Amino acid sequence: MSVEADLLPPEETTSFRGNVALRLFAYARPQKWTLLGAFILLVIATLGNVIGPILIERFIDNFLELRRFPFQPIATLAGTYLGLQIVSSICQYHQLVRFQTAALRIIRKIRQDVFGHVQHLGLAFFDKMPTGSLISRITNDTEAILDLFVSVLSTFIQTIVQLTGIFVAMFYLDAHLALYCLFLAPLIYGIIRLYRTLSARIFHITRHRLSLLNAKMNESLQGMYIIQAMRQQQRLRGEFGHINEAYRSSRMRNIRMNGLMLRPLVDLVYFLTLMTIIFFFGHASFRTTVNIGVLYAFVNYLEQFFEPVNNMMQRMTLFQQAMVSSQRVFHLLDETEYAPAADPSYRGDMAPAVTEGRIEFRNVSFSYDQKTDVLKNISFTAEPGQTVALVGHTGSGKSSIVSLLMRFYDNYRGDILIDGVPLSAFEDTELRSKLGLVLQDPFLFVGDVTHNIRLGRHELTDEQVEAAARFVQADRFLKKLPNGLKEPLGERGSTLSAGERQLLSFARTMVGEPKILILDEATASIDTETEEAIQEALENMRRGRTTIAIAHRLSTIQDADLILVLHRGEIVERGTHQELLSTGGLYYKMYMLQSGAAALPSPVSTRTADIFS
Amino acid sequence: MRVFLDLMWFFKTRKRHYIFGILMLVCVTLLSLVPPQIVGRLVNDIRNKSLTPHILAVWLLIIGIIAFTMYVLRYFWRILLFGSAVQLSTLLRRQLYDHFTRMSPKFYQEHRVGDLMAHATNDISAVESTAMDGILTLVDSLTSGTLVIATMALTISWKLTLIALLPMPIIAVTTQFYGTILHRRFTKAQAAFSDTNDKVQENISGMRVIKAFGQEDAEEAAFAELTEDVVAKNLAVAKIDALFDPTIGIVVALSYFLSFGAGAWFVAHGQLNLGQLTTFSIYLGQLIWPMLAFGWLFNIVERGRASNDRIRILLGTKTDIVDRKDAVDATPSGDILYNVEEFRYPNASEPTLRDIRVTLLRGSTLGIVGRTGSGKTTFLRLLLREFDVEHGDIAIGGRSIYHTTLDSLRSAVAYVPQDHFLFSATIADNIAFAAPDKPLSAIQEAARDAQIHEDILRFPLGYATLVGERGVTLSGGQKQRISIARALLMNAEILILDDALSAVDARTESHILESLRRNRSHKTTIIATHRLSAVEHADLILVLDEGAIVERGSHQELLQLHGVYQKMWDRQQLESMVEEGGIA
Repeated sequence: MSVEADLLPPEETTSFRGNVALRLFAYARPQKWTLLGAFILLVIATLGNVIGPILIERFIDNFLELRRFPFQPIATLAGTYLGLQIVSSICQYHQLVRFQTAALRIIRKIRQDVFGHVQHLGLAFFDKMPTGSLISRITNDTEAILDLFVSVLSTFIQTIVQLTGIFVAMFYLDAHLALYCLFLAPLIYGIIRLYRTLSARIFHITRHRLSLLNAKMNESLQGMYIIQAMRQQQRLRGEFGHINEAYRSSRMRNIRMNGLMLRPLVDLVYFLTLMTIIFFFGHASFRTTVNIGVLYAFVNYLEQFFEPVNNMMQRMTLFQQAMVSSQRVFHLLDETEYAPAADPSYRGDMAPAVTEGRIEFRNVSFSYDQKTDVLKNISFTAEPGQTVALVGHTGSGKSSIVSLLMRFYDNYRGDILIDGVPLSAFEDTELRSKLGLVLQDPFLFVGDVTHNIRLGRHELTDEQVEAAARFVQADRFLKKLPNGLKEPLGERGSTLSAGERQLLSFARTMVGEPKILILDEATASIDTETEEAIQEALENMRRGRTTIAIAHRLSTIQDADLILVLHRGEIVERGTHQELLSTGGLYYKMYMLQSGAAALPSPVSTRTADIFS
Repeated sequence: MRVFLDLMWFFKTRKRHYIFGILMLVCVTLLSLVPPQIVGRLVNDIRNKSLTPHILAVWLLIIGIIAFTMYVLRYFWRILLFGSAVQLSTLLRRQLYDHFTRMSPKFYQEHRVGDLMAHATNDISAVESTAMDGILTLVDSLTSGTLVIATMALTISWKLTLIALLPMPIIAVTTQFYGTILHRRFTKAQAAFSDTNDKVQENISGMRVIKAFGQEDAEEAAFAELTEDVVAKNLAVAKIDALFDPTIGIVVALSYFLSFGAGAWFVAHGQLNLGQLTTFSIYLGQLIWPMLAFGWLFNIVERGRASNDRIRILLGTKTDIVDRKDAVDATPSGDILYNVEEFRYPNASEPTLRDIRVTLLRGSTLGIVGRTGSGKTTFLRLLLREFDVEHGDIAIGGRSIYHTTLDSLRSAVAYVPQDHFLFSATIADNIAFAAPDKPLSAIQEAARDAQIHEDILRFPLGYATLVGERGVTLSGGQKQRISIARALLMNAEILILDDALSAVDARTESHILESLRRNRSHKTTIIATHRLSAVEHADLILVLDEGAIVERGSHQELLQLHGVYQKMWDRQQLESMVEEGGIA
């Protein structure tokens, strides 16, 4: 077992980081006015913070030291102090909100861009990319970038402005001492750099081990029945314990590192600076008079100085995480495997339209991976209004024919024509509105019934939606739902039976009144009641439309004008029902068996009369 | 604060860590009281011109020693206290994992894996943060709060202390108030975020439908709307979150203002000197954090308590499959006898199995066929005691499986489940899952018998190839054959194949069946299947429908019944013809 080696993560690639920063910057650009506003407010707020101690210094040195308390100037001083603090706090508040607003808008734009980009990628891309990691790119990785803008960027800017302000004030009070204090800048920069370098590796290892730990837990939970059936609980506990312990030890390294480098070290620096200031004033007092107020102000600034530094150092790890995430998101944005679209070279005077619904495949061959053909020299014609039934075993190429006709893939050889026009000449909207596809898995969306029938086609009226539901016989079960067409559907329509879901997907297709119908009939076990409704619906739907059907139901196959028997990507038999019966081939045998089985009621074959699958 | 009592069992196990850690924390607070005093003395010495280089050097030396001591103490209390918190989460995680390995399938029916994962991650980290930040905040704000205030009042002026502290409770009250609103809004923001996640999930899973209906732009618009909502909800959070700093700023400024106003009056009246006032103002700065922390503490502790309760409840669930008191710890062997009057799953209204009475002689092969949902898998799961039968009994070699320990029962059974689950490890590790000590030669032998050896050799690293997310993608048939090899390597007396050949082609299937017959001649095999060719040679075949046995007998006997079995057989013969290329 290679558990030991696994506990160390692979080296992280740090290539084109500069590029990533530039692209993030480009996203920030539209928010420049908001950011600028936030920056100005920040400067004002900082000014308030910085001037406060100076006013107290004035008070100490000009009045308190001398035991002189004239009312007018002191009242002005006090008023200024309080007013300044209030203004500064208000600016501070608006500054924070503005930074957040800008950051949230930036992320909204990035999210919308990524999501939009993914919408227009081809199915070939989705075939390759695991769903889980794709979802994680769009959600979790963009969330990490949000952290970058919300906490990291604004913290960094605030820290820098605040430190600058404090230095300016120090120079104003005592240039000489301020010059001494300047050594803090490179010192802190050095500490941050050192911490970043040292912590990056530990942090990376910790994160890696955490993901191992979670993966192990997740996998064990999913495979628990195997673990228990094979009595490996003890061993798995040991393995988990091992990773758990490794995670703990890297967490401890993290704590030690933070204990050495973060707050305790920054505090040590604070004391060093305090000693410098004390030495400076003490030493000066041997020669001249020292302003106590200035000493007070310096000590006060010193306290203000280190809080932002601590903050900044704590955000360091977030920053590193965000850069990795950004890289992944931009990588996805750079993906160019787009969905097939209308070929501009066909663009004549006007975009072609599907009018008759005549479909022709001429010598079409196709391969998903460019190595093995899943379709070989497929040729057939469906005349307007005809039904072509595709039958054959799983993997025989039925679904690939449908995918090509829907133009999900366009790298096929041969020609596919609709009304004599090459498929690639059609605009996407034309194809999608005239070709109605019913998938085997009636995927339903979260929302009510109406939403699922209408989808995004807002031009469809409620009456049309209702009519479509009636047309496919879905009204019978919809009437029984408490809210009818407004009934909300749970995740994937889990509240409905398989047959009911299928009827809704019929309605969804029929409401758009397609010219051509493409059916992938369901094989899921459907209760007898809906089965009848489905049969009727299918008959209604096919009437007057060219239909390409991956058929499992005897009735559909029997009524077809052309039956294509597919095997391993080739058409092995073709003809009408009668023709195929008379040749006495494979189809004949299937039919005999199927009709014989249908005559005798048995639990196996009457309900779903699927002969192949 | 009840959560600290709830966690007392853990604090007790690390008593020394906590005592020393807390002592160090208190020492740090005590030490931090000294430098402001020094600065105050210095101010007075400078004013009185009584400062000498010697005194200055001593002051500096003291601050230096204090600074260094504090650094060391701060480092060590972190190790002690934070380290203990990490130890706590490590311990809880292990307890949960161990607990999960003891839970029966019923538990996994009632809890979704996603929820269990959430307990193991979010809840544990909330408890950890209670033990880490919670303890620190509690101890630190209590000790430094009281110590600083006491020092201010005792060494400088109790009157001034009282005046300066007047606005301070505002911080504690407002931060707690903001915290409550923030938590509420934050929950909403999280919900909005999870809505967008759900949308993305739905969109990616339903991509085919979306493309078929040309819904890409509509989806984009719907998503845009959701992201707007995320922005709005998060802005609501930001508007509260941004209140913290300015509120604290104003209160602190007010406090300084009052201290200097009143302080000046005291100085003018000779009740205080300038050095003391300076010291006082530094102390005031040290009070901000404890005040702030008190507001936070409430939220941390509240969250920690809820999470700790959830973990406790989870750890408290008892499993329903346990060894009976009189259970015998010996691997069962012999004829298998099913005498099940009825079995229903927990909370199910209908029984899944009814009237199952079968005797299976040792060394014979039993075939179980029937539609999806007819009860085939349940039949097998009962033998493994994934669920217990209440009405009836199952016995092996004359002894009820309920009088055998779970462990020894399962050692007699090798199981190939329907959904071929593989672990992300090498192929060799997966095959040797139940018998990790077997040599590679035995692993290869099992792989050969399962007809997967040749396939494995074609992988880039052979038997060392990783499977799962980080490794190669296997076809369904390959996964099935690996899980068969995994079961074969156990060399158990009873082998169960639950529709385990569905994804392999007919020829491979017959090879596998042949090697089973060859290698397992004196052992019992139970095969549940859709494909009748897999049970053609079985000694006894049961046809199940809706949980009951509708036909039983050998292949030949069943064909002669001209019933369900015969119809299925004819149909499948034809299917295999299609498979072979349609040559009739």
